[in-house]
Amino acid sequence: MKKTLTATAIALALTATGFAAPALADGKITVSSPQDPGSWDPIDTFLINWASLATNVFEGLTYRGPDMELVPALATSWETLDEGMRIRFELREGVTFHNGEPFNAEAVKFTFERLLGEEGAKGPQQANYTSIKEVEIIDETTVDFHLTQPDPVLLTKLAGYGAMIVPPQYIAEVGDAEFNIKPVGTGPFKMTSYSPKVGASLAANEDYWGGAPELSEVDYRFIAEPSTALAELQSGGVDVVIPPSVPVGMIPTIEAAENLEIISTPGPTVTALRFNTGNGITADENVRKALIMAVDRNAIVDTILAGQASVIASFQGARSFGYDESMEPLPYDLEKAKALLKEAGVEPGASVEINTRGNDATFNEVAQAVAAYLSMAGVNATIKPYETNVLLNDIIPQGKTGEMFQQSWGGWTFDYDNTAYAMYHTGQKWNPYDSDAELDAMLEKQRPMTDQAEREKVLQEIAAYAADRALEMPLYNMNAIYAINKRVQNFEPAPDNRLRLDKVSVE
Amino acid sequence: MAGFLLKRLAQAIFVVVVVTLIVSVAVRMTGDPALIVAQGATDITEADLERIREGLGLNEPFLKQYLATLSGLFTWDFGRSFLGGTEVSTLIAGALPATLLLAFSSLLVSIVISIPLGIRAAIRRGKWEDQVIRILSLVGLSFPNFWLATMLVLLFSITLHLLPPSGMTGWATLVMPALTMGVILTATNVRLVRTSMLEVMQSQYVMVARAKGLSERSVLYKHALRNSAIPLITFLGLQFGGLLGGIVVVERVFNWPGMGSLAFDAVAARDYPVLQSVIMILSTLIVMVNLLVDIAYGLIDPRIRTE
Repeated sequence: MKKTLTATAIALALTATGFAAPALADGKITVSSPQDPGSWDPIDTFLINWASLATNVFEGLTYRGPDMELVPALATSWETLDEGMRIRFELREGVTFHNGEPFNAEAVKFTFERLLGEEGAKGPQQANYTSIKEVEIIDETTVDFHLTQPDPVLLTKLAGYGAMIVPPQYIAEVGDAEFNIKPVGTGPFKMTSYSPKVGASLAANEDYWGGAPELSEVDYRFIAEPSTALAELQSGGVDVVIPPSVPVGMIPTIEAAENLEIISTPGPTVTALRFNTGNGITADENVRKALIMAVDRNAIVDTILAGQASVIASFQGARSFGYDESMEPLPYDLEKAKALLKEAGVEPGASVEINTRGNDATFNEVAQAVAAYLSMAGVNATIKPYETNVLLNDIIPQGKTGEMFQQSWGGWTFDYDNTAYAMYHTGQKWNPYDSDAELDAMLEKQRPMTDQAEREKVLQEIAAYAADRALEMPLYNMNAIYAINKRVQNFEPAPDNRLRLDKVSVE
Repeated sequence: MAGFLLKRLAQAIFVVVVVTLIVSVAVRMTGDPALIVAQGATDITEADLERIREGLGLNEPFLKQYLATLSGLFTWDFGRSFLGGTEVSTLIAGALPATLLLAFSSLLVSIVISIPLGIRAAIRRGKWEDQVIRILSLVGLSFPNFWLATMLVLLFSITLHLLPPSGMTGWATLVMPALTMGVILTATNVRLVRTSMLEVMQSQYVMVARAKGLSERSVLYKHALRNSAIPLITFLGLQFGGLLGGIVVVERVFNWPGMGSLAFDAVAARDYPVLQSVIMILSTLIVMVNLLVDIAYGLIDPRIRTE
């Protein structure tokens, strides 16, 4: 009797400690993510916070990790044939989906037929994969992608978002609505529960072809407010806070805490103040150059951004395909700026309006610094913020901006074509003012090129040309800033928020 | 009574229709949801956007879209969210109880604090206790709720590690949000209880009650408090509306998965079905609470019933 009591007491004590610290015992971490994408179906959404979870659940034929290298995933190798019009993939054998269904050529064909068919037409992903004409099954483990035109970025696109391979039988069984909330993939983690707007839980996929993950569980909590996410981190409620929830201003607080640290890496987002090349004093190229030279961008990065950014020379970061190391930003030279302005006939006291995204607190500080620098060159800048969506979808496309306007941009493919085409090609939505036949020709020329070295050269030429015409004041490439609890080991910061957690462990 | 109720009901329906109509029209003037759904997509063309719009049902006539939402009040089918296609009814089934729980807890906090303090201030009118209570209520009134929320989190979560800073996982997570909302309500309610008590205490029937030789306790709670409750109940009814408005900020700070958070996200994403449904349900609720307040008058004060 006494023995039983003691045993019960011990059991109770154990249970109690178990309750107190389940995370430590089980190898579990909690991640704070700013947004619930609403659906986990790869073809439904384009939110990066879909990717910050779903990269653990789904896989594509290729994979691009935090080092930005494109490596085999569900395809073991590939070969480009017929001058870029056909790509043959050898598929990985012995892989199963979380529900036990086998991964094979049939699943690949099904995935892309779904993406490019009626189901995909309702979502935003289809537009990205229109270069695929059809997928042909050669045998159980070989497929041919037939293309409508060579697509140099396709292999990268196959590593993310809409190209994630989905299970045909499962979707046929449960239907699309159920698949949205109970996703099944081949990735290192499987989703065990999802509660809309609250969170989701993942459990290790012990049969993962790349080896079972270190962690047994990962919880995601959707926390929209950055300060709340950081309060949770500080009080131990979450272990990882992902971008963009770590404001630069909070970095010192986190670094001061013994158990927390900041891990950052250059991200895809670049920020520039683009010029209204159609009206106002910024219609003059020399004035635009003067305005760039009047602003000390290095000082802005060092002071306002706590060094968590790098100054850029063109509208792309160092990781972008098309980046040219040898290209230097215009120097900060107040005297030269004043001289250029005088030459262009701009009287001291001339005014410019800067449009910003009102909810971007950090950038509004940057804009104030820019305005202060411009005033030293004799230009009065007023800042007029707009709600992000209004600025992006109304003010800029309709050409209703002031002389300068914020554009923060960066595609997950890290390909300069993505930015340059949208920003500089005549008639593009975010290019309401400028039309340059030479620039258009270069932009069009590089698109079908399959020789990547040659295409890179053209992209570099485009960057140089745009800088030469001073189409924007290039500011900086912001880091992707993660704040983590130090008990999280082997954490590699993903530049593009595509967080993969299978190598992560806890102390 | 029946005629009175019918009239109020007609007013209520009118209010809900007007409010939802304004919100539905206004949100459509500020941006294209298809663009937001497609944000981040490369090479998006007008044809792609058109396809997405078609899929979202944006090409239907406005009145049809609006009526589809409105009919949700009766069918509980509000359509699907633009963001991922979750059924709006599922989202609301999760968020509405969360918001109601928070709203009623806040009211409760406020009632529990404000009535004793208000009475105390009234009977000690002009004395130091009264002054302290009045100053405290002024301080409480001056707190912006997000500031108070942040301070509570700093104190109880980050410094003392007593309460979780956010989420909705049991009573511990309810404490700070309910306190934040409750304290701010309390500030006004204390003053209301005090004034209303003072007024009643000077009335003739209280004098008569005293003259009859009733105990002070009996005078206070049986005669004075019951009579001073009328303005308080009206005010609580009105406050409930304000509460649901103010809850947006508090829910966001505490990551409380309620209607406020839902509305906030829906505005940012131009998620019409979610936004319209949330506003419709909240306005219906507010109108209904006010209706209940009117009925409650009748129960507390028999004179109103006969009017």
